[in-house]
Amino acid sequence: MADDDYNDFDGGGEDYDEPVEPEEEVEEQENNEEAPEFGGDGEFQEAESEQVSDKPRKTTKYMTKYERARVLGTRALQISMNAPVMVELEGETDPLEIAMKELRERKIPFTIRRYLPDGSYEDWGVDELIVEDSWKRQVGN
Amino acid sequence: MAGIGGTGVAAHHASINFTKGLHLDDAGPRKIKSMRFSTMSSEEVTKTAEVQIFEHSLYQLPERKPLPYGVLDTRLGTSNKKGQCTTCDGKLADCPGHFGYIKLELPVFHIGYFKDIIVILQCICKASFSLLEVVASQEERQKWQRRMQNPRSEILRKKEYLKKINDLCKKVRACPRCGDINGVVKKLGSTLKIIHDKYAKNYEAFEEMAHKFDDAVKVNKEMKGYMKNIQEDLTPLKVLGLFEKIIGEDCVVLDLVDRPEQLIVQHMPVPPVAIRPSVEMDAAVGSNEDDVTIKLMHIIEQNNQIRACLESGLSIAKCMEIWDFLQIQVAMYINSELPGLPPNMQTGKPLRGFVQRLKGKQGRFRGNLSGKRVDFTGRTVISPDPNLKVSEVAVPILMAQTLTYPEKVSAHNIEKLRQRVINGKEKHPGANFVVFPDGVKRFLKFGDRKRIASELKYGDVVERHLEDGDIVLFNRQPSLHRMSIMCHRARVMPWRTLRFNESVCNPYNADFDGDEMNMHVPQTEEARTEALTLMGVQNNLCTPKNGEILVASTQDFLTSSFLITRRDTFYDRGQFALMCSYMGDAVEHIDLPTPAILKPVELWTGKQLFGVLIRPSARIKVFLNFVVCEKNHKKGTETMCPKDGYVFFKNSELICGQLGKGTLGNGSKDGLFTVLLRDYGEQAAASCMNRLAKLSARWIGNHGFSIGIDDVQPGSRLTVEKEKRIAEGYRACDKHISLFNKGQLTLQPGCDAAQTLESEITGELNKIREAAGQVCVNELHWRNSPLIMSQCGSKGSVINISQMIACVGQQSVSGHRAPNGFIERSLPHFPRNDKTPQAKGFVANSFYSGLTATEFIFHTMGGREGLVDTAVKTAETGYMSRRLMKALEDLSCQYDGTVRNSSGVIVQLIYGDDSMDPVSMEGQNGTPLNLDRVLMKAKATCPRGTTPALPPSELWKIVESKFSQDGSECSTAFLDSLRKFLRKEFDTISSTRKRLSLPLDDFGNVDDENVAANVSGLTSRQLEVFLNTCIGRYHRKKLDPGTAVGAIGAQSIGEPGTQMTLKTFHFAGVASMNITLGVPRIKEIINASKKISTPIITAKLVSENDVKAARIVKGRIEKTALGDVAKSIKIVLRPGQAFVSIKLDMDRIYSLQLDIRAETVAEAVLKFPKIKSMKLKEQHVKVNDDRSISLTTPESDRKKMLFALHSLQNMLPKVIVKGIPTVERAVINQEKGKYNLLVEGTNLKAVMGTEGVDGRETTSNHIFETVEVLGIEAARNGIIKEIQYTMGSHGMSIDQRHMMLLADVMTYRGEILGITRFGMAKMKDSVLMLASFEKTTDHLFAASVHGRTDQIEGVSECIIMGIPMPLGTGLFKVRQKVGRIPKLIYGPPPLFS
Repeated sequence: MADDDYNDFDGGGEDYDEPVEPEEEVEEQENNEEAPEFGGDGEFQEAESEQVSDKPRKTTKYMTKYERARVLGTRALQISMNAPVMVELEGETDPLEIAMKELRERKIPFTIRRYLPDGSYEDWGVDELIVEDSWKRQVGN
Repeated sequence: MAGIGGTGVAAHHASINFTKGLHLDDAGPRKIKSMRFSTMSSEEVTKTAEVQIFEHSLYQLPERKPLPYGVLDTRLGTSNKKGQCTTCDGKLADCPGHFGYIKLELPVFHIGYFKDIIVILQCICKASFSLLEVVASQEERQKWQRRMQNPRSEILRKKEYLKKINDLCKKVRACPRCGDINGVVKKLGSTLKIIHDKYAKNYEAFEEMAHKFDDAVKVNKEMKGYMKNIQEDLTPLKVLGLFEKIIGEDCVVLDLVDRPEQLIVQHMPVPPVAIRPSVEMDAAVGSNEDDVTIKLMHIIEQNNQIRACLESGLSIAKCMEIWDFLQIQVAMYINSELPGLPPNMQTGKPLRGFVQRLKGKQGRFRGNLSGKRVDFTGRTVISPDPNLKVSEVAVPILMAQTLTYPEKVSAHNIEKLRQRVINGKEKHPGANFVVFPDGVKRFLKFGDRKRIASELKYGDVVERHLEDGDIVLFNRQPSLHRMSIMCHRARVMPWRTLRFNESVCNPYNADFDGDEMNMHVPQTEEARTEALTLMGVQNNLCTPKNGEILVASTQDFLTSSFLITRRDTFYDRGQFALMCSYMGDAVEHIDLPTPAILKPVELWTGKQLFGVLIRPSARIKVFLNFVVCEKNHKKGTETMCPKDGYVFFKNSELICGQLGKGTLGNGSKDGLFTVLLRDYGEQAAASCMNRLAKLSARWIGNHGFSIGIDDVQPGSRLTVEKEKRIAEGYRACDKHISLFNKGQLTLQPGCDAAQTLESEITGELNKIREAAGQVCVNELHWRNSPLIMSQCGSKGSVINISQMIACVGQQSVSGHRAPNGFIERSLPHFPRNDKTPQAKGFVANSFYSGLTATEFIFHTMGGREGLVDTAVKTAETGYMSRRLMKALEDLSCQYDGTVRNSSGVIVQLIYGDDSMDPVSMEGQNGTPLNLDRVLMKAKATCPRGTTPALPPSELWKIVESKFSQDGSECSTAFLDSLRKFLRKEFDTISSTRKRLSLPLDDFGNVDDENVAANVSGLTSRQLEVFLNTCIGRYHRKKLDPGTAVGAIGAQSIGEPGTQMTLKTFHFAGVASMNITLGVPRIKEIINASKKISTPIITAKLVSENDVKAARIVKGRIEKTALGDVAKSIKIVLRPGQAFVSIKLDMDRIYSLQLDIRAETVAEAVLKFPKIKSMKLKEQHVKVNDDRSISLTTPESDRKKMLFALHSLQNMLPKVIVKGIPTVERAVINQEKGKYNLLVEGTNLKAVMGTEGVDGRETTSNHIFETVEVLGIEAARNGIIKEIQYTMGSHGMSIDQRHMMLLADVMTYRGEILGITRFGMAKMKDSVLMLASFEKTTDHLFAASVHGRTDQIEGVSECIIMGIPMPLGTGLFKVRQKVGRIPKLIYGPPPLFS
């Protein structure tokens, strides 16, 4: 049951608007020391991470282009709504560009929950995945 | 009525005001998880309704207000801006509309459920209301019940069960429970009546029934004649009575979820006015009502009449007539296209019923639910602009001011947005609206913009104009593949057209002859990001069809590159520097290369310019290494090619070769841009394309390139040559014709004289045109513009040139020379039976010299065929693409590597057997890498220097250690291909070393080592780099989980379909062996047709090298009639005996090497169906000796015997004594010195079983036969092979993986399913998906009768419901990572610390 609650709380299903607000909430809560809110789930999270470490994750260690697109999109949306930026800016103003920079420096605070067809899932941190640096590979300019 | 349950809107009662509000839990936004279809009961209808409707007029006159209790009652909502709903007090915008209901005085059938009603009636006893067959035993009934209720049984299975029950019940003569007679229940003609033919086959019952009418017959004599036509009429009322008494268990067995009486209309919902708006016209005219409103009026009218009838007790006949009429009205209300309506019921124009609203391309499903109209779009004419980047599109200012993007104010952009707000609507980088968080929207055309700007806060949204760098989607119809809609960055520019770099014409298939294109502006940050990263031009340079590059240079770019890289072009410092500066926009740093010629003046070659183009400065580390042969390359000459067609790049320097389409153009796998893309990424390729576009546009603008009449004027030599060739050709043709007339033509295999002549002449005439073209190419000046264009591949071919200058050539209509439109001649200008080239459509003139009148007519004939063909083809291929798309749309690759459909059914365990993405395949046959090139690059980028090359044994050690280290995650197939390649490479090294007598496993003499290394050798570094690149790239080329493999596959097969031209095609080598190709063949394969137009079995022979053996087998397969091998078939009449005597022509049989003996003939005669029907038995056939048989007839009557003998004699020549009857003919085919048989016809099993045929390698192109004989896996291979062959013969290469997927979809159920509505219904469960494909309402009605549930998981369903789908970016979830979780102490806090 705790699982379900947690899912619902953390913007489980919806793809478009949900990640926005709940996730902002998350940050706020962190700042405002609303620890008890997380209390019940904290235990679960630990258990979950144990579960993950018990079973070796089998899916690809490369970030798929879809994951990259979605992560960048979600992050760009957060940045466009005034979320604190996790990297040093060098004059960039476009949220997408900032998000790309964050991804390049592996500073995007997301995990990707990959669902397998049997309903189980694997959690991968964005910083764990190998991202293909498609924009500036080996070219000097 | 078809009610859609689950999502019903609860009626909102606002009449009572509570002092304390009702507590309602707001659960927040909800997601529709599934959708259940059901029927509505009368109670439900009345409950959901606000009001009963019984007035048939619409308005109260004279004030023209909606009449209460009329169809437009204000309680049903309003369709008028001024009107107000009296139920919810809402205006047009707020009121969702409310239902009303009509109570029908007499029930009527629901037209959508009519068939189901009949099925149910067939299954129940009309007297005891219980199921007929199944009731026989309780166990039987329970068995069916269990089957139906089994949650695991699929919908398809349930359908089969119902069909079976129905069939069983139809056979029952009498009810096993009550013994009542069960007759045939059927629809009466084309009316909406059901009859029960109770007495037709039961005489006793008929007598009993007829007895009742004795009195009536006495009075009315005429009645007797009609007595035998008596049948039981099952009126809706009667049926309703029957249905009400069916017990629940029986409903389950009949696969009904709701009560069956709900299939009959008793109460009809009246839909809200909102969905049938009434438009008020001028006061005089009245109003314009929706068809539904009018139909409802009619229904009420009829209903009221019935009520009056029943109340006042009018005649039964009259009452029945009105009832029938009401039945038809209600049916038409639902479906106005009823077949076979009585003429008096048909009104002028057909009204639009509900079925019509849903059905078809413009219907609700396809027109409004699966595809919707959207805002933020633009469309204008397109034009080219080579100065734009490949990824850009120029947007007219006007458009940019209308299209906006809602940008949220944040710390990063507040200053910029303030400026935008100040600029307002009229000035370009401005804004149209500001939306505040409370939802207030301010229009920026009026008001104090400065104040608004200064008061702008974080969180406000500014709908600003489109600006440079904004992300837009750009699209051109027809959108045949995913590259038809790509993401560009906007560049706001003056003027009125959308402009883009010509290099991007190819994916859109656009030209600038007036084409228009569409633009969409994504409105959220997420949408823009996804658009840019997934649909960006740079990320779609290659087509997933086969991995070839699609965005590449075209037309002028090719011409100018061709001219610049000509061998003898030299530029001095000024020219060269100028051309270098053409490439960029004065922002790039350029290093001039060392001039090719230093003295007396510094000169650079044009080829050096391309070195600069690829690597402008030394800082850019791009090292390009590849070899391409242009189309004019002479084989075997390589770098010494006389035409300079061997393009060789080494470390980004063009060593030799004149660049053309092969290097720079699209549709190549090892051209310049492809290599750049694969080795250095899309950015490198795109920027190089940008540079080339700018360079060539600017250069050719100065250089000039045009075509004029003098370019197509043939010189005197050319004219003479051409005349000579034509005369030669004519002479050859005349020779053939005269041979033909004498009957001396040597026939081609399988052709008659006329066919042979045609093919000979066609061959000759084609030769003329070829020759003329060759003459043109040889004779034309090298500066001739058309010649240049054809050489570099920018536009036109040799044939086009030849048509303009020398000779237009033979015109063909449906693959033959001009047909005879007049009696025995093509045109009245020619003598009858004229076979000369001129008379059959050969155009000897050129477009320059002008066509004669007859030539012109022939040319138009050919031209028209082309036009008609294109028109027909587009419609056909469009439908094919749609079907493919619908069948494959929901297949995607999952995280475990399987390919599954939306309900989780595995279609492939690994995509395409290796899980590689077809977009990034570099090798020629869909292999991941072009190993030759990778090795070449490794060698070039890591020069040997002084390091020694290793001997093969050392190299192998490196390879194996690398494989054991990193190769574990690669497929064995890939590692094997690598090994195989390296073995070949190392073998050459060994042979070099052997020749220099160096040891193979150790170092030798240093000098010899050096020589060997220079000839062929690898250093350890080179090998390591090679292996690292191979393995590294292999991993990057894996298919990303989430990819919509099905959709891509469907597009990859559908798109090339539109390019296919010719309908049929000749079999190479074997004359007149036509096999269907092109679109019709693809259609046959995809539809899984049971009957195909040209079935051909390819039989491998046991002895392949012997023609004689082949002939013998051919004789065994081809059918031989008795008439062909009999010397005589005579009737012999002798005293005491009369028989037919057959004498076999044994000489002929021997010479044809047929295995026919008298015994076999006797057997064949007995098996011949027509003779079998004469009851000929074994004793009637007597084999006299090897070559003669005598047949007697079983007829003993003397008079009939002669006739019998005669008919026997007539039939005997047709008896097939040898061979397979279904085979038309067999042709011996020679392939690489080996013989095989091509058998035209079916019956693969018999061919395989024929002696001399190797059954193990005999295949048929008939998929259906393959399944029956060889099984489903063979059929899968057959589908793959056939599609590939068809596409291949039209010069189209498609990655095998797409075909595999299609074949898997067609076979994964264990039977062949065509990509048609029938096959699709067996593949998919989703009602919405099937309804949005074809037969919309049939699926909906069936779903509601059987209470189906749609899980809304597939692509179509998700689009219809507006839910994100589990594909691509929807396959996973993104969650905020919670950094540190506060340490928590569980349990109550300690009381004392």
